[in-house]
Amino acid sequence: MIELISDRALWNWWSPAWFVAAVVAVLYGRYPGWTSLSKSLWLIAGLSVLVFAFVSPLGVLADGFLFSAHMIQHLLLLLVVPLCLVLSLPPSSAEPAFSGTVDEGSLRKMMRRVMKNPIAGWSVGLGAMWFWHVPAFCNAATENYMISVVRTVTFLAAGLLFWWPIYSPRKQARLPASHAVVYLFSACLGCTLLGIYITFTTITVCPAFASPEERLAVMIALHDAGMTSSVDQQLGGLLMWVPPCSLYVAAIVSVLCRWYAVGEPGEAGLAVTRTAEVR
Amino acid sequence: MSDSEPLATDDAASADVATRSDSAPEPVSSNGRLLSWVSTVDHKKIGILYICTAVFFLAIGGLEALLIRVQLLFPNNTFLSPDLFNQMFTMHGTTMVFLVGMPVLVGFQNYFVPLMIGARDVAFPRLNAMSYWLLPFGGILLYFSFMTGQAPDAGWFSYAPLSTKPYNLMPAQDYWIIGLICLGVGSVAASINIFVTVLQCRAPGMSLQRVPLFVWMSLMTAILTILALPALNSALAMLLIDRLLGAAFFEPARGGSAVLWQHYFWVFGHPEVYILILPAFGMISEVIPVFSRKPIYGYAFVAGSSAVIVLLSYGVWAHHMFAVGLGMGADMFFAVGTLLIALPTGLKVFNWTATMWGGSIRLTTAMMFAVAFLLEFVIGGLTGVMFAAVPIDWQLTDTYFVVGHFHYVLIGGTVFGLFSATYYWFPKMTGRMLSERLGKWQLWLWVFGLNATFLSQHVLGVMGMPRRVYTYADNPGWMALNAFAGAGAVAMAAGTLVMLLNIWVSLRRGEKAGDNPWEGFTLEWATSSPPPPENFAVIPEVSSRRPVWDLDHPDAADGQREQTPADSGWRPDKSITSIWAFVASEAVFFLLLLVAYVVFNTDLVGEITSASVLDVPRTALFSVALLGSSFTLWRAEALLKVGKLSEFRLWLALTIVLGAIFIGGQAIEYYGLISSEVTISDNLFTATFFTVTGFHGLHVIVGLIALGVVFVLAAKQDRHVLHGTTLKAIGIYWHFVDVVWIFVFCIIYLGFMQ
Ligand code: HEM
Ligand SMILES: [Cu+2]
Repeated sequence: MIELISDRALWNWWSPAWFVAAVVAVLYGRYPGWTSLSKSLWLIAGLSVLVFAFVSPLGVLADGFLFSAHMIQHLLLLLVVPLCLVLSLPPSSAEPAFSGTVDEGSLRKMMRRVMKNPIAGWSVGLGAMWFWHVPAFCNAATENYMISVVRTVTFLAAGLLFWWPIYSPRKQARLPASHAVVYLFSACLGCTLLGIYITFTTITVCPAFASPEERLAVMIALHDAGMTSSVDQQLGGLLMWVPPCSLYVAAIVSVLCRWYAVGEPGEAGLAVTRTAEVR
Repeated sequence: MSDSEPLATDDAASADVATRSDSAPEPVSSNGRLLSWVSTVDHKKIGILYICTAVFFLAIGGLEALLIRVQLLFPNNTFLSPDLFNQMFTMHGTTMVFLVGMPVLVGFQNYFVPLMIGARDVAFPRLNAMSYWLLPFGGILLYFSFMTGQAPDAGWFSYAPLSTKPYNLMPAQDYWIIGLICLGVGSVAASINIFVTVLQCRAPGMSLQRVPLFVWMSLMTAILTILALPALNSALAMLLIDRLLGAAFFEPARGGSAVLWQHYFWVFGHPEVYILILPAFGMISEVIPVFSRKPIYGYAFVAGSSAVIVLLSYGVWAHHMFAVGLGMGADMFFAVGTLLIALPTGLKVFNWTATMWGGSIRLTTAMMFAVAFLLEFVIGGLTGVMFAAVPIDWQLTDTYFVVGHFHYVLIGGTVFGLFSATYYWFPKMTGRMLSERLGKWQLWLWVFGLNATFLSQHVLGVMGMPRRVYTYADNPGWMALNAFAGAGAVAMAAGTLVMLLNIWVSLRRGEKAGDNPWEGFTLEWATSSPPPPENFAVIPEVSSRRPVWDLDHPDAADGQREQTPADSGWRPDKSITSIWAFVASEAVFFLLLLVAYVVFNTDLVGEITSASVLDVPRTALFSVALLGSSFTLWRAEALLKVGKLSEFRLWLALTIVLGAIFIGGQAIEYYGLISSEVTISDNLFTATFFTVTGFHGLHVIVGLIALGVVFVLAAKQDRHVLHGTTLKAIGIYWHFVDVVWIFVFCIIYLGFMQ
């Protein structure tokens, strides 16, 4: 463990993640409706996780050495960072995207459509998860830097879209509780299937990890401790499966709390209009 | 015991008749009365039928348990042969789970869910009757196996390969499978009914956040059943195909996987234990507040944590499989999951205790059973948590410790909950009170029996006595403990007889109950006892979780003390909701069949594989027809909506033709394969291929029949079809079948995921 922290080769202090985090922080700072402390705490949490995912040994090991480390990084980028960012948005921040008249730009209109439709958020969130574990793509992203950047961006964007219908700062944009539970539960099913597959399949899901070209000193130590590439993949699969589902269940709990709370304005009425839309 | 049953039923009926036409009971011919029961679609009568059938099978299952206890009374006993012993524990377990536990709970749900939500009946009364009749049908199939000379003997979970043909030549195992499929279909149908009833039939003002907890738990149980039973059904289908058609899904000797059976069984089996306990949670959540004269403490927690249980219960099945060697990582994760699910289960005990705290408690029999539930269930829960530690499980699995664990939760939990509910609700069902004195006898007999039998078994388990072995050597202490366990079993049987006696006596000359003898809180107490066929003359206003309390105490009504989310008034459409529930259930079924395909075809080597025998372009062509039919049906729906009837009929006909083309294509494909001697028994590819595509084809055919019926009815200008949601509901099913095909095509024909 100590070795893991002290080994200089395992830290990537010059990761561009710093830069991205700084830009996001500045953008937030300039936003006028930006006040509450708890919101800024969410922002700080999200950005710290983002930086952690790339700068710490986790980021280095995820870069072609340990499949399970890659999986943790993947979960942080797809689930945790976007969740924190969505939660950090002040209620007014979503207005520009939603208010506005008919003659607004078509791109914005499309955005609005997509963000309003839970199926889009669900498919993109789950789609990113599955897509980047098709062996060919997983390999490509591990071996090619540009593709890995694309992957990171899609993870973050897909994560934002996924959490939007649950935690959108605008209450009206949120799914009614019953739909939200189905949304999260089916998402759990989706990652369960992928997790089971990765855990139990005999196929090597991401061959790049099975034969890392240059070995780090830790890798040899880990290998000697029993972390063979098949154990690594099994662990990766279990990580794909249990932590996301736990997070979804936690989200379901928060949705239920919201549902049982009295005086949630518009919740009941929303359910009506929404289902009216569906039919 | 068994023949007192029909009598009790008749008496319930006569009590029913007597109270309704108090002045001059019309003579009802016994023939007509029988017919009125057999042909009933009234949810209350169906509920009673469920309960009586369950009691009948309880007698049989109990007898089997007693035979087991007699055999184990002495070391090296020869009362039962080893074979017969195997049959007894298999039939005992199967009977108690599928013919007693589930039906009796469904019976209470049937009777009380509509009453508690202020509804006239369940959403689909006829479907309800069908679900019920599948129960005796499945039960008879299961017990018919005795006529073949041998009952099933592979245990209630029928582990492969013991349940496969090479090890089990007798037809008994086939009866077991077919009986369980019947019961499974009936359970899913009943659950869809309850699910839709709770969502759709609630009285005005009763938001989902205000339903009585028994109703909420019934809803949760329904969801569990709808999503868990198909896992069992898919495993049963594969096992039956193994046994009857010579496939080898579960025969390791021919490349199959016995562990896969375990996975599938427990993916069903663990949710199943919650199917058996959640309604009991609901029952004591009704009883404890009423007899403490307080609202439940932490309603939202009790309800919400049950929802969490539903979700988590699908993720912990492998804790039944720690001993098969899943690998360290998997064991660890499942152990943690098991500990997690114990939290929402265990914490509820504090809610119930806190409800009693400071209440003015009335220790009626119902209440005492509820308190006994709390104490005994905690013991069972704790031993369960012990198993979550993998090394402890390795030590104790397959010993009597496991038997002790699950009997504490099933008897201390489910059965005590049921007894509590029986004493609580019997007055409502019959208009008569049960005797409290006999009730206390029953209570103490059961409390003694439960602890005597299963505490001894815990000890025996720790000493290493294996379960399911027909006898034991004369080890120190074993005989004494087994004899004590036998005494406990006798006490429980006696307790049951006391209950039947109590019911018998009450039906004849029990004290009249009145509408609300316990000063209950929920809507079932707002009508007469027993309720009239239409349930309510007027439904009281619902503005809180305890409408009848509000009615009786207007000055202390709940609404003044605590606000609950109001009812938006919106109710989903019946047919659409039921179809979505059905589709969800079928999705699980296909999912597991496809998982089996992926498992068996990854790295499959051999002459016959998907690459070597399938004509992908041809099937792609037929697939286009099927997917096109989704489009045409969508057009047809849109045209019907705007009232263009002739065009609508055209597009509907086109849909049917396209579907038929697809089926024709499948027939050609099957014909080609079979005539070149590629059959289901060849290898694991053909087995999975024919199973998956065969079941899919069957679903297409069912859809075609439904569309055909719609077409004919539309031609006859049937109002329901033209203006109702029928077509939309069938459309959902049809699109679902097409979506399944997309997955089938990608996985089987294009070789994704292999
Ligand atoms: C409080 C939480 C519970 C935990 C942590 C738990 C855990 C377990 C575990 C780990 C096993 C497997 C033991 C083995 O075979 O080695 C087991 C078996 C079993 N449990 Fe539980 N359990 C809990 C509650 C329940 C409840 C509420 C029920 C039913 C009402 C139940 C019914 C069963 C049954 C029927 C079996 C045995 C199946 C068999 O092997 O035939 N359990 N439990
Ligand atoms: Cu379990």
